[in-house]
Amino acid sequence: MINATKKWIFLKVSSIILVPLMAWFIINLVSIYDKSYVDIVIFFSTQPSKFLTSFLMIVAFFYSSLSISEIFEDYIHDEKVKSVANKAITTFAIIIPLITIIIIFNLTT
Amino acid sequence: MSNNNPLSPHIQIYSWNISSLISISHRIIGVINIVALTLICLWIALLLLGETNYEYIKFFLQSFLGKFLILGLTWSFSFQILSEIRHLFWDFGYGFELITSKITGLIVIFGSIVLTILIYLYSKQIF
Repeated sequence: MINATKKWIFLKVSSIILVPLMAWFIINLVSIYDKSYVDIVIFFSTQPSKFLTSFLMIVAFFYSSLSISEIFEDYIHDEKVKSVANKAITTFAIIIPLITIIIIFNLTT
Repeated sequence: MSNNNPLSPHIQIYSWNISSLISISHRIIGVINIVALTLICLWIALLLLGETNYEYIKFFLQSFLGKFLILGLTWSFSFQILSEIRHLFWDFGYGFELITSKITGLIVIFGSIVLTILIYLYSKQIF
């Protein structure tokens, strides 16, 4: 299987996972965004929202990394610039969810 | 060695239609959503500062601008959800006919507005 096919499959699988996760998250975000500190910490530090938020971050940043690399492929002409941009977006897509998950698992009221 | 692979043309040279509008919007909103998710990660990180410091963030989120941002985020998430579903149908080989593509494009545009209202009303337990 060539890399482009693997990338397309990863993109589609993550897309299928992302649709219900995004729906779940936005419904809950609108419910809690203006609530008190304690309510928000309880939301992020208890199950199933603890697991689902962490899972959303992993899948969303993974999907975005693949999607944005497609945009780079289409619009960046210089190969060196494209390579640096792809590395930057991959690093960003690993670090941000990783830090967020560590924080979520350390939240206490 | 120069790369002679074809690249996407500038979007200005074609006349606009529903498909091209949804296509470019899907990409732009995807980028907006990942920026928004990064800000949500920052919001979660700011919880570590404690309850007293969180009052400033709560004040902002309860302001008109805060509510407007959340409503905008609800719309951009709704748009991406519907647009992803449209793409998934294409991946299974459905919806390529010109008229179907136009109808599903319109469903994405107007459906995202309806979905935003429904999510907001449901989440705020207005119904």
